[in-house]
Amino acid sequence: MPVLPRPADADAVLVDRLRSDETGEAMRALYRLYGGELYGFALNALGDRGAAEEIVQEVFLRAWRNAGRYDPERAAVRTWLYQIARNAIIDSRRRAAVRPGLPQHEPVDDREGRASLEQAMLGWQVAAALERLTPEHRQMIRMAQFRGLTMREIAAHTGLPLGTVKSRTWYALRSLRLVLEEMGVTPS
Amino acid sequence: MSCAHVREELGGYVLAALEPAEREAVAAHLAACPDCAAEHARLARLPALLAHADGLEIPAAPPAVEERLLDRVASERGAARRRRRRVRRRRFPAWWRIAAGVVAGAALGAGVTALVLHDGDPPRAASYALVLRGDGGASARAHLSPGRGGTELHLWVKGLPPGADAVYEVRCERPGWSASAGTFRADARGRAYVVLTTAARLGEYESIRVVRRSDTADVLTGKLQ
Repeated sequence: MPVLPRPADADAVLVDRLRSDETGEAMRALYRLYGGELYGFALNALGDRGAAEEIVQEVFLRAWRNAGRYDPERAAVRTWLYQIARNAIIDSRRRAAVRPGLPQHEPVDDREGRASLEQAMLGWQVAAALERLTPEHRQMIRMAQFRGLTMREIAAHTGLPLGTVKSRTWYALRSLRLVLEEMGVTPS
Repeated sequence: MSCAHVREELGGYVLAALEPAEREAVAAHLAACPDCAAEHARLARLPALLAHADGLEIPAAPPAVEERLLDRVASERGAARRRRRRVRRRRFPAWWRIAAGVVAGAALGAGVTALVLHDGDPPRAASYALVLRGDGGASARAHLSPGRGGTELHLWVKGLPPGADAVYEVRCERPGWSASAGTFRADARGRAYVVLTTAARLGEYESIRVVRRSDTADVLTGKLQ
């Protein structure tokens, strides 16, 4: 089944409209597209719901303030938002480190913290790419990759013919590669 | 093993989910077939990427953040607009605007007068933002824009009595005149975002009032400056 990726241009248009749109609808649309995964990313990094909510709010505010400087030639909207989120998380960790009375999370070595943030950013973007696959394709990848089942075991588990499981898995990976390419995600 | 057959097996091969004999057959074919090897290379990095996403479930975007965010953007936008207005006023002092308006109005007609007024004052006919205030910390931000045959009104409300499940009515008013813009309910935490339309045109009313429908008690009021 073909995957129809959201055109990256559509998101760039949303960012372009952020400053001029007085109704807030462009911001609302952008938030609904990316708020969930950025919240997951921040929650994972900080381990605190309140702190994660603050980060997400800060990310979209910074995006709104700097929308004029966003260059769609340089990065996809998602990548741009993740970069803003990463910086906001680093700022938040620094603030928490100088206020030991208000520990939000374990202190993290700066360099080590940044490296793990890069890994987490990658993980959340891959998770977002998986969400864009059809449920059938996602199921094949989840069962084989995350649950470690063989093609034969998946066929037995789902009741699908073995040939269908194999071809579906192949198409699922091809679709995933296309979505990741479209999102600008590459292995580091 | 044919190329078509190998392609079918590649997904399971890349995810290490084939039986040993199948895996060996595919590996042997890939070693001898550059086309299939190229296709394999395009997929081979995916498992390493997927490993980063293991256990990650994308949560719902928190709705409370959405409302707070829109509030912040609206207030920053309002502050920026006030700054711009102050700068414009400094650039064109009041006496200059009045003189220009009189001269232009006399010489060239109302169209030009409107242009001059537009420069100094926020035009009534364009969109308009105002803040409504009420008792007990209730407040709202209203954004009014000319719609088809009236006004489109966006209203962001907070601080209403939580959990009351009351119906509120929005009215556009001037002394001795009132037009309803519709009704809404707040969420359990006393917040609401509504888009309403009214036949009342910008310029026909001077204030926005929100009343509780059950007893028409005033809840929020705001005046168009």
